[in-house]
Amino acid sequence: MRVPLYLRPRLEPPLSSLLADAPFLHSLADALGSPLNLLLPDRIAENADRFRGVYREHRLTGRVYFAHKANRSASLVRRLAAADPAAVGVDVASLGELQHALACGVTPDRIMATGPKDPEFLWLAARTGATVNLDSPTELGQLADLVRKYALPRVDVLPRLSAFETATGPGVSGVKALSRRSRFGSPLREAGALLDAAERHRDAVRLTGVAYHLDTTGLAEKAAALEQSVAVLDECRARGLDPRVIDIGGGFGVGYVAEAGQWERYTSELANAVLGTRPALTWRGHGYGLRNEGGTLRGALALYPAHRPTAGPGYLDELLSHPSPASGRPLATLLLEHLYDLVCEPGRALADQCGLSLARVTDVRRAGHDSEDLLVRLGMNAGDMSLEEHGVLVDPVLVPRTPLPEQAEDDGPAEVYLAGNLCLEADLITRRKVFLPRRPRAGDLLAFANTAGYAMDFRAHRAQRQPVARTVAVTREGASWRWCPDEDYWPITGTGGPTS
Amino acid sequence: MRYDSITEAIGNTPLVRIDPAVHGLRHTDLYAKLEMLNPFGSVKDRAAWNMARPGLADAAERGATVVELSSGNTAKALALLAGMHGLRFKSVTNRMRVPEIKELLLLLGAEIEELPGQSECLDPTDTEDPLTRFHQALAGPGNAHLHTDQYFNQRNTEAHASGTGPEIVKDLDGRAPDWFIACVGTAGSSTGVARVLREHDPEVRVLGLVAHKSDFIPGIRTIDEVQQVGLFDPATYDAIEPVTADEAIDGMLTLIRRCGLLAGPTGGAAYHGAVRRLRALDEPSGGRRTAVFIVCDRAESYLGYVRQRRPELFGRPPRKNSAAALTEAEIRAEARTVTTGDARRWIAGEDPRPLVIDLRGPRAYAALHIEGSVNIPDELFDELVRGGLPFGTRQPVLLACPVGEKSARYAALLRRMGHPDARSLSGGIVAWRDAGAPLVRD
Repeated sequence: MRVPLYLRPRLEPPLSSLLADAPFLHSLADALGSPLNLLLPDRIAENADRFRGVYREHRLTGRVYFAHKANRSASLVRRLAAADPAAVGVDVASLGELQHALACGVTPDRIMATGPKDPEFLWLAARTGATVNLDSPTELGQLADLVRKYALPRVDVLPRLSAFETATGPGVSGVKALSRRSRFGSPLREAGALLDAAERHRDAVRLTGVAYHLDTTGLAEKAAALEQSVAVLDECRARGLDPRVIDIGGGFGVGYVAEAGQWERYTSELANAVLGTRPALTWRGHGYGLRNEGGTLRGALALYPAHRPTAGPGYLDELLSHPSPASGRPLATLLLEHLYDLVCEPGRALADQCGLSLARVTDVRRAGHDSEDLLVRLGMNAGDMSLEEHGVLVDPVLVPRTPLPEQAEDDGPAEVYLAGNLCLEADLITRRKVFLPRRPRAGDLLAFANTAGYAMDFRAHRAQRQPVARTVAVTREGASWRWCPDEDYWPITGTGGPTS
Repeated sequence: MRYDSITEAIGNTPLVRIDPAVHGLRHTDLYAKLEMLNPFGSVKDRAAWNMARPGLADAAERGATVVELSSGNTAKALALLAGMHGLRFKSVTNRMRVPEIKELLLLLGAEIEELPGQSECLDPTDTEDPLTRFHQALAGPGNAHLHTDQYFNQRNTEAHASGTGPEIVKDLDGRAPDWFIACVGTAGSSTGVARVLREHDPEVRVLGLVAHKSDFIPGIRTIDEVQQVGLFDPATYDAIEPVTADEAIDGMLTLIRRCGLLAGPTGGAAYHGAVRRLRALDEPSGGRRTAVFIVCDRAESYLGYVRQRRPELFGRPPRKNSAAALTEAEIRAEARTVTTGDARRWIAGEDPRPLVIDLRGPRAYAALHIEGSVNIPDELFDELVRGGLPFGTRQPVLLACPVGEKSARYAALLRRMGHPDARSLSGGIVAWRDAGAPLVRD
């Protein structure tokens, strides 16, 4: 075998120490089955604190919002409900999520309703007093009608803007930053009409700011959007409104792979495999968006940038320090000087290091008679853990059933494909060949780290009647771990009942 | 030398020997091919001219726009060529990473389109990468474009097979060098030159240099990126080696400071990569050898690039009256501050009335400010106080910024400069607003 192409996960406490406790993980999986999801609710509060630390550094105020859709768990939302109300909120994208957030103790003033909304969702948001992130002028009209019809209190709204293009006029030389099209939000050039509508419906809604969500890691695009949002709010002020917040989302990111070198080596070798200059690194030569056209590599690598030198709070800091394109002043200075609060929605970055997914190894065999590769079947399927679907490539951690010394005959790295428990050729946990430090055995566990954001149960389903993962919340108590079913977790509960 | 057009000055660049005392090679003569002396400033002048030339007359007739995927020297040369022929030029790029080149292109009249940054949430239904979309737009009906297509156009390579390569052979008295070293961008110059040199002498060794994967060297591709270049053929090179940005800058400094060659980082990378490789082979056996590397462009456009990586090269002594030089402790000890309430009474009741200076940006000031205040944004105020006090010592001053931090710094500085009554609004405009004090807009 050539040098193994590891993509070892970035692990921080408490996730790292949880993964080191093999007996605890095995006892949980023995009792609750495979697959199994573990959540670390205390870590999400820590993450929110880190983001707020960046706010403090830049002297900014405003909340950090957790995107509930990233994880359906109760423990994460309840833990955030117990955090500083001025610091943390929850972003809900469906009626069910709104009900859940309310039931977890998040007060409506800390809830932001986003995404596609049906009338029931809009009504409950308005009834309880959540802020509504408006997708279009039509939605504004719907909301205003509901408010009037059912005599609801005025609703705080943030129009969501999109298409921040920096075009100059025809025939004039200049720089035009192209942006990816989005299905959500209203184009910036229609902001005037949106503000007109907000003024017209003043009796029903109170415009408290604007929002945008840009699906890009590019700082320049974000900077243009933020500066243009400031201009829109200034325009609101000129119209006699009293806006306060700019809500920014998208692109904060998570670093999944610990070492830059591993990520670079892997992606280079993947390109070589697509070009045919090294053996395949993927099931049936899948190229992850790359293709070979006459010896030249075409297409774009459709992978999440799994190693990121700056992500999460670091990315926010970089963004706030970035100069705004027109005025040249750092974006944080711009917000501060214009007296606007910052709301950020860091998506998966807020769930970084908050959980893992366990799968039991059920069978190990050769992938084919002409291949040294192993096919490892897991008690889990591709729907249970969708890192691959998001293009996140990172190795699982092998948690042996029995301590290592007895397994000397298996020593040395193994090249494996991870197959799921569905009776479908296509059910692979990941389409790439995974390099493990040694050959797994039936009964071992594979732990997929950092799955709390969008991966853990985003696509889980009951097709073929395979068990759907149970989810437990795990907390550290002194030297040992405590666990309870996710739905039974309350942040006030310690050993022997509620803590004072 | 008399020419009818600047394009006639493209090519015939000098081959200059590097002093052995600088590179330290005892058995190798190392020469620099000074492509930076082309009229538009780089090796790309040759390719741009050779690629654009056949289509220019027709393009002028159709009123076409010259289009290229370039963030640098090719765009620069094409913009100038387009302008000379009354055509527009548009550059599409994955982000211009060198601000000076971007501004220079705008000066030359280019239009720049920047492709979006990497997506954060992969969309499995998205089958088009931005470049594919760009190519589709070019191929669409009714579009008047002259797409020079530098990564796939054989005329890019040809420019060097008919120009750069033969010039090197001629200047070496009809011999090919033993080594040819080039950085790989479009692979045009390395491929074209290598072909000619090998025709003269099949023993020529060719070293291709690429950027280290995690690094950025303007004009050079990384080992992954070269795979996407149609002109790139691994068989052209006897070896491909990576160079880091740091090494490129080291090489550039050597060429500039010791050889009198005003080279940019790509030339620096070529020099560094050449010496590194040749040093390992510098044995007396085999007799004297000759090596040629390409200095692709000049230093001036990369000052920002170098400043970012080697700020110490641009170090200046601290200037006087600098607010930045004050420590937090000094500010706490020396700055006088007033609360919103006291400030309001001060503004309303004193004679002379304090001059209220708002240090925020002009747009923020225009949106909301304290009535009667004057807007001097901090960066301008900073310049102003360097020269001395910008107002009399009998004029009381109230400084305001968003949260009272910058204003405290300047209040302390003004006190040091001898002003008896400059105070900072404590908590800044934010505290003023939160206290319900009035803010106006014009």
